[in-house]
Amino acid sequence: MDFILNLLPYIVNGLSLGLLFTLIALGFMLIIGVMELINLAHGSLFALGAYLAMVVISPHVPWLGAFGTWYLGLPIVLRYVLAVVMAPALVAVVGMVLEVCMRPTYGKDPLYGLLLTFGAALVLEEAIRVVWGSAEQMLQVPQNLMGPFMLGGMIYSKYQFFASAFAIVIILLVWLFLERTPYGAIIKAGAHDSEMVRALGINLTRLRLFVFGFGTALAAIAGIIMSPIWGLRPHVGVDAVIPAFLIITLGGVGSFFGAVVAGILVGLAVGITAGFASEWSLLSMYLLLIAVVTVRARGLFGKKSILEA
Amino acid sequence: MAGIGGPIGHWITREMVIAFAVIFSIPFWINAVGLYQYLGVEILIWMIYALGFNLLLGYTGKPSFGHGAYFGIGAYAFGLAQQHVVVNVWIGIGIAILAATLAGAMVAAFISHRRGIYFALMTIAFGQVFWFAAVKWHALTGGEDGLQNIPRPDVFSISLKDNEALFYLAFFFFVLVVIALWRLIHSPFGKVIKAIKQNEMRAGFIGYNVRLFKFMVFTISAGIAGLAGGLFAMAQGSAYPDVMSLHVSGLVVMMTLIGGGFVSFWGPVLGTVIFFLARDILGVLTETWLLWYGLMFIVVVMFKPEGLAGIWQDLTRTRVSKSESVDTSLISSARR
Repeated sequence: MDFILNLLPYIVNGLSLGLLFTLIALGFMLIIGVMELINLAHGSLFALGAYLAMVVISPHVPWLGAFGTWYLGLPIVLRYVLAVVMAPALVAVVGMVLEVCMRPTYGKDPLYGLLLTFGAALVLEEAIRVVWGSAEQMLQVPQNLMGPFMLGGMIYSKYQFFASAFAIVIILLVWLFLERTPYGAIIKAGAHDSEMVRALGINLTRLRLFVFGFGTALAAIAGIIMSPIWGLRPHVGVDAVIPAFLIITLGGVGSFFGAVVAGILVGLAVGITAGFASEWSLLSMYLLLIAVVTVRARGLFGKKSILEA
Repeated sequence: MAGIGGPIGHWITREMVIAFAVIFSIPFWINAVGLYQYLGVEILIWMIYALGFNLLLGYTGKPSFGHGAYFGIGAYAFGLAQQHVVVNVWIGIGIAILAATLAGAMVAAFISHRRGIYFALMTIAFGQVFWFAAVKWHALTGGEDGLQNIPRPDVFSISLKDNEALFYLAFFFFVLVVIALWRLIHSPFGKVIKAIKQNEMRAGFIGYNVRLFKFMVFTISAGIAGLAGGLFAMAQGSAYPDVMSLHVSGLVVMMTLIGGGFVSFWGPVLGTVIFFLARDILGVLTETWLLWYGLMFIVVVMFKPEGLAGIWQDLTRTRVSKSESVDTSLISSARR
């Protein structure tokens, strides 16, 4: 009993980490589903979202002049909310540009799309380095989200709970969007059989553009939520894209439910390993993936897909 | 392959002779054009690495985004062998190749039955595992700092302290790798892996053990990366985890593709030269050269995935008879 009680904080940590991982993987999953494309730039867009949010929250731009001073005088909660809306919108535009660049590779070997997003990841990371420098930066969050609180004799971080709750809300919203709206139905149909969707008179080109924008906006949201925990450096994209692809491979391509389960599993694995060997905690997710995929080639809930061809 | 010259016997081609002659002469003029001897060594090492990588990417059509792991394992194995076993180039390089081959074989056993993007994803996962181990296993690898003060031993009582001497040692291995790979690619084995690239399932239906071939290609490719890694550790005098990161693993993918690894044996060689020239020439002009290099890579993937060698072939294709070009278009349409 004591053992479990001692483990409890790690399980709670793991659960919250799992929800956040799922949030990171959501946009990635949407893009794989509809586009049949692994977006290796997902992590860099995640980082870009966080950096843009930082600029929206505390801009250090001299030419803004009096407006800048007035803006910085606004309550931080307001600026934070503005950042959560604006940064993903801007990143969605970047994502749509990326999708347009991707068009020449459609219908060719999927390897080319993979290589292209890989190049895009490098370019975005370098661009971030050029604009904001290599040093670690800070994303300001509202004061009352900071600090610790006590629960059942344990100390928890407030921000982690806020982040988990936020992740749950976004996951639910995306689920509702996919399951309960006609747009969601089109996206799911596009993932199932894009040729048929086109034959039914839906503009597939626009659908892909939209899905890419939506997926990258989700990456940006994840970046904004995650960066106060992970810190903000140009390289943070790699830390984000790896769990994302890991979760999708583990959960199975094209399964929403699979992604959520896999995300929480990975979070728990990392969280609980942290209780025993904190140095090695991140290794556990790779081992989990290798173990599961060795037994189940398409992950936990995966279906056969074109990506294997 | 690029249209200049046919084979001279079974082992050497005219292209090889030209390439070897040009590379052999590098130390004589590299200072004169404002570059430095060490760059030649670095380029040669990465050429070996990229050639081995292209066996996997260009010839078998299987991308590995975690190939730096085997390069790094080779480097660490070389360093550890020099520091703890014996100071000897041949034994060190032998151990480097062996270690990387074993690691590659282990990974290949897990992933050789994976297809398409799942294969690529698993190479990333394994690459990260090795990178992670290199960073965290302080006792063996020295953590983030890596192994320091790896000696450059003498070869036949010639000191390798001089970069020119090291260049010719690397050149020796380069020649070996080029000839061996050329032979391998133009053997029945090479025909099978090209068939796997075109259509894995069909190659299986014909009766080839696709899994075994993928296993072997991956292992050989990892072994060559280990050789390059061993040479790199000797050149740098240290081995560090950075070369195993996803970022640096990606560089070799880019070099191979920009050079034209998909269509030419010499693509990776070309791509490596371009990369290092870009680094040293663009790098002087601007801090952000990697940004421009990345943009160039994107443009190449978008409009000319066959890379520079592909452009070269387009320019020389006018001389090729029409029947042959019809032939190739049939093959490429059959791939869809």
